[in-house]
Amino acid sequence: MSERPLIRSIRDVPSADFYTSGHRTCAGCGAALGYRLLLKAAGPKTVVLGPTGCMYVANGHQFLSSPYAVPWYHTQLGAGGAAGVGTAAAFRILMIKGKRKKEDVNVVVYGGDGGTGDMGFSGLSMAMSYDFKRFLYVLYDNESYANTGIQASSMTPWGASTTFTPSGKIKKIGNPRMKKNVALTIAAHPGVRYVATATLYPPLDFINKARKALEANGPAFIHLLVPCPKGWFVDPKYTVDLSKSALETGLWVSWEYENGEFKLNYRPEPRKHVKEYLRMQKRFEHLTNDQIEEIEKMTANEWDYWKEMDKQKKIILPWTAPPWA
Amino acid sequence: MSKPKSAPKPVTKTLPKKHMWTGTRAIAEAVRLADVDVIAAYPIRPYTGVMNSLAKMLADGEFTAEMIGADSEHSQFEIAKHASAVGARTFVGSSGVGLAYAAEPIIVTALGQLPVVAVAGCRALDDPGNFGMEWNDVLTFRDHGWLMSWAKDPQEALDMTLVAYRVSEDRRVLLPHFVAVDGAAITHISTPVEPPGKDEVARFLPPYRPQYPLDPAYGPVTKAQHIAPSLIGPELRKVVDNAMAKASEVIEEAWKAYARFVGREYPPFVESKYMEDAEIAIVTMGAYAKDAIHVAEKLREQGVKVGVLRIRYFRPFPTQELVEALKEVRAIGVVDFSYSFGSTGSSSVLFNEVKSTLYDNRSRPLLLDFMFVGGREPSVEHFEQVIKLLQQSAEKTTAEKHVWWPTLRSENL
Repeated sequence: MSERPLIRSIRDVPSADFYTSGHRTCAGCGAALGYRLLLKAAGPKTVVLGPTGCMYVANGHQFLSSPYAVPWYHTQLGAGGAAGVGTAAAFRILMIKGKRKKEDVNVVVYGGDGGTGDMGFSGLSMAMSYDFKRFLYVLYDNESYANTGIQASSMTPWGASTTFTPSGKIKKIGNPRMKKNVALTIAAHPGVRYVATATLYPPLDFINKARKALEANGPAFIHLLVPCPKGWFVDPKYTVDLSKSALETGLWVSWEYENGEFKLNYRPEPRKHVKEYLRMQKRFEHLTNDQIEEIEKMTANEWDYWKEMDKQKKIILPWTAPPWA
Repeated sequence: MSKPKSAPKPVTKTLPKKHMWTGTRAIAEAVRLADVDVIAAYPIRPYTGVMNSLAKMLADGEFTAEMIGADSEHSQFEIAKHASAVGARTFVGSSGVGLAYAAEPIIVTALGQLPVVAVAGCRALDDPGNFGMEWNDVLTFRDHGWLMSWAKDPQEALDMTLVAYRVSEDRRVLLPHFVAVDGAAITHISTPVEPPGKDEVARFLPPYRPQYPLDPAYGPVTKAQHIAPSLIGPELRKVVDNAMAKASEVIEEAWKAYARFVGREYPPFVESKYMEDAEIAIVTMGAYAKDAIHVAEKLREQGVKVGVLRIRYFRPFPTQELVEALKEVRAIGVVDFSYSFGSTGSSSVLFNEVKSTLYDNRSRPLLLDFMFVGGREPSVEHFEQVIKLLQQSAEKTTAEKHVWWPTLRSENL
């Protein structure tokens, strides 16, 4: 960890940005903020691959300006894992064969929840089964296909109203599926050197996790929750507050898994009631108090597992009865 | 015992080393000789043998490359595309529905102008599963900016793969290249192959050096950013169109250079056999051109003025060469292993291409389509029937019908 040590204070965060102006993301875009923090952590010797998603379309500008101050290449919606492998394989072999100078080059994929958890799941799994160093896949999770107008993905939380799962007169509940935990599935890949979850708050947490991931001596994965004012129907000024509230209500769990050891990075004690987080967002406004209590119960149940995992330093699949069961 | 009188010394002559190789093995040799850096593999018959051979070569240390076994053809072609963008020479391939599964990356590789070389072991598309040979898997991508060539045997498949790298990586072109080989007929049949030496290949094939590699050492290149169509949409399409137009001269140069450095000569775009005084002609591509030539040879002895034209490049399509070669011919039969359901005359892909090529021609020969589809193999008799039918049509200056399915059971030729 010589080149990029962990950062202890917000004052020590590098001032140089590699995700800069020239994009047209929404006001308060959580995914854009995540991009900025990630590239601050990774630094200039980095190649970034962007699967299709809102970070593709919104970062492309009609006047061809580019927000990226490092090499960046688009890849298809389901191709983040393959693009990362192809890029990392090229650097490794060109260095081995003496066709390129030997040095550390980071390969970072920044893919959304649809492109990663749905369409790109197979390619991601393949990528995590190889042994490329300085290869980090960041899943930025805004809990929907936000670029196409907020359609549910397999990572949209239960009950959320989206354009594919609207709350209606007959079907009142909104999204009927439970949110998939992709980070846990990645932890099941024996070759992965580092798996973590993070959100935009506290900012140093994500920056340092990205640094650890790149130094992990093998493929790494970070699942980053990024609030989306457009898709969650909240005022853009609350983006970071939502990240904080997700942690404090226990609806987002910050953990890391390294060298076979599980560790909780934040324990909400006492944990706030989930309604604090849910009632901030219009996508949950149709939920009844009873349904919110149901979510509170499921969350409490799940937390027994997270605490047990932290105690045993091992991953145990958290289980909770789905609301329809 | 007295010493026997020494026998006269035998005359020794060094013949070039030949190997009995299948098409897949021969192509693997080309990949080794081209010193490819990144290989992306996924199994599907009949092309897989190429990757099996490469894996064994790498395991035995015959050359150095990254070989990635992907999770799907989609990932496979994405891996090759991205490795190529960094500056690696890449190799990939597939067959049948594998190519269909990889449609998205195949298309973006061409429109993003990355010189990936892919082998396509031609195979019928599902459903139902079918190991037979058809061209529709590769021809699906005829409109997207891939260079496409068809080899006739393992030797040509090897030579074509080496030439493909030189053409694709030329900065005037920068388009990916399908080297198509007919399933079974080339992929699985062994014939004598004479590979060129490593030094000869090194002289023929310069190293791949992209102008703007995706590498921090060359600055922050942003590639394939989302665009405003009004600003740059048509221009980006024209760039690919220009590259394809340039490819023709680059292909011609490359085959000349190949003959100079390696010593094997090919006509670049079309191979003509007995066309000088031909009244009727078979136009086709790939391995079965050899059968057509064999039958034509026999019928020539009986006085039938038949010639065979083998198209080597489907993209860019050799329009001028075809018009020139067919200008004196009275009837043409296209031996086609593809279909295009509902197309004009309910015919096939190569046939439609030949037909539109001849539209501007002053003389309009009779044009018949022979669709060998569904994977059932043609026999010598089929080619004899094709030529007889062409002969009759040329005499009558009319054809009973224009589209025939010679291998179909109920079809009565």
